[in-house]
Amino acid sequence: MDNSILHVYEDEIQSLEEEIKLLAEKYEESQQESTFFSDEEILMSIKSFQREFQGESKGHECLSDLKVQLESLQRDLSFLMKFTGIQFTSHSKKTVEKTRNRTVQKHRLSGNCHSLSFQLEFHLLEMQNKENVTAVITDLSIVMESGEDSDVSKFVSR
Amino acid sequence: MEEGKADGLLAHLEMLEMRAHEAAVKKEEMQRQEEKLARLKARVQELRLQRDELRAKVDLQQKGQLGKEGVVSDPAQPNAQAVLEWKIKSLKAMLQIFYLTGISSKLTKRGVCFSISTAYEGTYLDSYHLDLLTQPEVRIQRHSVPIFIPLEQIAKKYLQTDIRRFMSVLSDHLNAYVGRRYQADQLQEHFSDQIEGALQRNSLCNLLVFNYNVSSQSKTFLFNARLLYGDLCSILPTEVVISCTPDAPASLAEMAGAHSDLFRHVALHKAFRSFRSAKESVSGAP
Repeated sequence: MDNSILHVYEDEIQSLEEEIKLLAEKYEESQQESTFFSDEEILMSIKSFQREFQGESKGHECLSDLKVQLESLQRDLSFLMKFTGIQFTSHSKKTVEKTRNRTVQKHRLSGNCHSLSFQLEFHLLEMQNKENVTAVITDLSIVMESGEDSDVSKFVSR
Repeated sequence: MEEGKADGLLAHLEMLEMRAHEAAVKKEEMQRQEEKLARLKARVQELRLQRDELRAKVDLQQKGQLGKEGVVSDPAQPNAQAVLEWKIKSLKAMLQIFYLTGISSKLTKRGVCFSISTAYEGTYLDSYHLDLLTQPEVRIQRHSVPIFIPLEQIAKKYLQTDIRRFMSVLSDHLNAYVGRRYQADQLQEHFSDQIEGALQRNSLCNLLVFNYNVSSQSKTFLFNARLLYGDLCSILPTEVVISCTPDAPASLAEMAGAHSDLFRHVALHKAFRSFRSAKESVSGAP
């Protein structure tokens, strides 16, 4: 029996599994980024979920897990934004490159820093080496309504 | 005569038995291999199908988004669970990028856990954590701040009265420490050809001592540099002493002065990069 044939199949299986993983991630990310639900829609979903699973214990568990998770995340985010004075109003990301050890994502962020509003676009490169992940930001572009405030314009150009 | 024959027969029978056994084992082995091959082949087909389906799905997705900028709500009534899961994913992503701002936090049962992330010019370096309790007063329960950072001093000054200031000052210290360490690491990693011997530094990386080569009129001399970073929130030294060996020509004193000035204004590894490119431009090397 020729072992090399086995190896060829095993290699193909491995590369297919990797490809499937990448495709699934790409699909998930695209779905996430192209969808948007407003806060009212979120509240409506919680209500309808509650109605649907009134009394049914299994569904109820699932709903309360999600609700708890959602509320905890909202509390964390709200605290952080209040503490730092940085409010992000929108965020989108797109994976531009992904290999085994390297991921590059393009991020678009807009928000307010205290009273100044900003828009950022940058590439975030994350590399996995033996012990940890290193992150580097490149191609940063900042758009700010600096107008009269010369200090802010100077900061932005730096 | 008969005995000998019997022995020979037995031996022959044994040999036949052995051969039959070997043949059976081989046959079994071959069957196993064939089964394995068939299994692998089936798996490959299965995965190929899965992959092709996904590819088609993704292509359709991409086509649907071509030319459409902005937000799309699923026209078919979305499953309530999917909506919640979307929101959770979205919030998680936003919390995750907060670390890029230098500070991130998570509420805990008895307080808050802060994470300070440090960076040097766009490259993110270490993160440090502080577990704070808020009742009856704000205090630090646990932390991962290195011992040579004056955490207690900073806490004493600001933690009770102005927690934002506390985080800001601590962040400045940590970022500066990490920035100084980064410069020293870069020097050791990329400019070891210009450094003679070991680069000496303390844990806080605010005192660096090393010897490096300089060339003047096609002769090499050794400079000793001693950098003291008096301001713990700064990545530049406050005091630089450069000395040369006693047999060095007087012209070198001017160079030492220029270097001293340079080190006080430019990051260490960038200064050395400029030495290297200056050297290369003089010698005409690419």
